[in-house]
Amino acid sequence: MIEKYRIRYCLRLSLGGFLLMVMLAVPCFAGAPTDGVKKTTDRILAIVSDPALKGPENKGKRGQLIRQAVDERFNWEAMTKRSLARHWQKRTDAEKKEFIALFGKLLERTYLDKVGSYSGEKVIYVDETIDGKYGTVTAKILTHSQTEVLVCYRLKEVGGDWQVYDISVEGVSLVNNYRKQFNSIILRSSYDDLVQKLRAKVAEKD
Amino acid sequence: MVNLVEGKQFMGLCNRLWFVLVFGLVFGGIHCQWDTAWASSFEFRQDAASLEIDVVGQELIQTARLDQASAKTGVPEEKAVSKNEKPFEDPEDSEDWPEDRSPEESLFPDPLEPMNRAFFAFNDAAYFWFFKPVGEGYSVVMPEVLRVAIRNFFTNLSMPIRLVSSLLQGKIESVGMILVRFVVNSSAGFLGFEDVAKQALDYPVQDEDLGQVFAFYGIGPGFYLNLPFLGASSLRDTVGWVGGLYLNPLDYFVEDWLPNLSIRAFDMTNKASLRIGEYEALKDASLDPYVAMRDAYFQYRLNQIEK
Repeated sequence: MIEKYRIRYCLRLSLGGFLLMVMLAVPCFAGAPTDGVKKTTDRILAIVSDPALKGPENKGKRGQLIRQAVDERFNWEAMTKRSLARHWQKRTDAEKKEFIALFGKLLERTYLDKVGSYSGEKVIYVDETIDGKYGTVTAKILTHSQTEVLVCYRLKEVGGDWQVYDISVEGVSLVNNYRKQFNSIILRSSYDDLVQKLRAKVAEKD
Repeated sequence: MVNLVEGKQFMGLCNRLWFVLVFGLVFGGIHCQWDTAWASSFEFRQDAASLEIDVVGQELIQTARLDQASAKTGVPEEKAVSKNEKPFEDPEDSEDWPEDRSPEESLFPDPLEPMNRAFFAFNDAAYFWFFKPVGEGYSVVMPEVLRVAIRNFFTNLSMPIRLVSSLLQGKIESVGMILVRFVVNSSAGFLGFEDVAKQALDYPVQDEDLGQVFAFYGIGPGFYLNLPFLGASSLRDTVGWVGGLYLNPLDYFVEDWLPNLSIRAFDMTNKASLRIGEYEALKDASLDPYVAMRDAYFQYRLNQIEK
């Protein structure tokens, strides 16, 4: 009788141990969203640290390659839609197109500037969540001054491909930030003024 | 005789209790894994916040309507509109964006905007004409390793602010980490110049301050403040910052105002030298840097409070 219980107890223990191991192992599997972000990030890091592309004379070529990589991963239309929010619907198709192009350029340039100052920071993928066709990927960036920056990518699945539609750095969402700015400018002056400002901003550095 | 025996038994019990207490503390301290969900009032607060938003939103709708009806002035009702804003509704593909499900629309009024904008311009000038050149010159003289060490020292020194803030929020896990960090870094880390606890134990700095304590007990940010030299803040966080001054041991070690202020200025310059380029990036990427900064501060604090 006692023996029987002991066996059961042992079985239960080993089963518990197995379950625990499975639970510990699960977070190690990375899903499609992380793969997508990682692929693009690795590609850009390879371009940035490629000795053949270093130097000011290769700046144009480097920028073009990075832009290509970023364009594939970032969904400019979704970003613009969400940034303009309720002002989006009032726009005509031509206006929408123009705004997407301008805003995409501004974001691209900001991203390029960030990547341009790359100096060996490490990227560690910490977390991933998937909720239907939406997902988030959290990455930790270790800078050389021993600071950790938490970056969260929000992605959406479009035709089997995970595309980024928002980035938050330390909890500050890019899209939310632009939404506030756009809203403030449109309400104070007009949409045309916003486009003009955006155009000036994009032209500033080209 | 009887007393002695009883005394012995009592002592034995005491010893055992003592052992259990120490063991529990050490074990718990090392494996800070217990559930501290009771200490985070997040769920409760979210409900309260959404309720508040609803009430405020309704009021704002009404006032906005009244305003429109009575006099069609050109003054933009920015806040009124932005709060009732349905995050995004597209008739073609009305999508249910995951982060729009919880209403966390900004409740961050800015009644002192003209003053804040003036101070923003002042800070902007102060940064480009003073802090940036000084910080750049300083970083030429000081190698980055030393600057990081100095930053770590000042961070370690201001431990009481974080300790008291975590205690007041009931974050036991954080309290344990802060204490372990302080002991380890002050000894093995040479007075805190080296962040050993982060490297060896992976205990990160616990970003806690009194502003977050106020938020924990349900106090809203009040309104936005942009203060000269101190930058973006809110009424609540400014009060917290002033309270934090009393918790900083620096003020008790160095009581004379001139050395105290010099040390503070040194700390600020040192920190600024490690962050050159961040402000420029924000300014470069935004169409209205003031609004961008205000919203970034609001989002950043919200994120810190939720942690």
